[in-house]
Amino acid sequence: MHYEFLKRLEGYVPEHVRPVTRAPEKIAPVELKAAIDDANLTEMWDMILTLDYSVSDPTDLSPEKRDEFLNVMSLLLKAFDR
Amino acid sequence: MLTRPDTHFSELGIQAIEKGLADPAVSAFYDSIMSTDAVQIQQCLKPFLPHLSLCSDKMPGNAPPPIFYVGKESGQRHLFGEDWASPATPACGLRTPDPDLEKASAEGYRKALEGTPYYGYAHTKIQVNGELYEVAFERLIVAVRPSLQSDLRFCAYLGVIQDLQRTS
Repeated sequence: MHYEFLKRLEGYVPEHVRPVTRAPEKIAPVELKAAIDDANLTEMWDMILTLDYSVSDPTDLSPEKRDEFLNVMSLLLKAFDR
Repeated sequence: MLTRPDTHFSELGIQAIEKGLADPAVSAFYDSIMSTDAVQIQQCLKPFLPHLSLCSDKMPGNAPPPIFYVGKESGQRHLFGEDWASPATPACGLRTPDPDLEKASAEGYRKALEGTPYYGYAHTKIQVNGELYEVAFERLIVAVRPSLQSDLRFCAYLGVIQDLQRTS
């Protein structure tokens, strides 16, 4: 009886939990770099990383800066999409 | 009474820069990029990067090329805001949020991609986040390669806002 009661609660969402609206999935950094290389955009990756972020590897960036750089690279990929 | 059209885009030509008629920021960028050889192009871009927007060389449907980089101090970031310039999860290529502005500005990119830097003036109404503005700006668009041997080309855009008024 107790078990049946718990089963019925499985679909219950407490009213203080706000429904989650899912943002578009972010592509993983390794997959993004592979896509950049496949699209022959490696030079642009290196150029922006070096000139604007002054590092040669995104792992040397703070998490915020790394996210920012990877977002620019996502835009780069889309801008050159053929 | 004088009247003027809502949208006015005109090419002034690089001769206007050479005669010293352009904004100093435009002149400095133009002089630097024209006096740099292809080997040094990245070092030439570096000091100007915060003021530039970068876009591809693709003009699908004759629209301006999608933007991928908006400098921290650039006119486009100032005009359209942080949320537009740095989308957290970009779902598509970045374009200016005003369709009329997009259409009117395409010619400048086309000319730059044909090989000659484009320098022009624009005065237009734009809509940003539901608000209407009148903006006047000059812009220089140059097509460059990231290195001497590169197959890639991209456009570097330097826009200087001369006047910005909210009209609604």
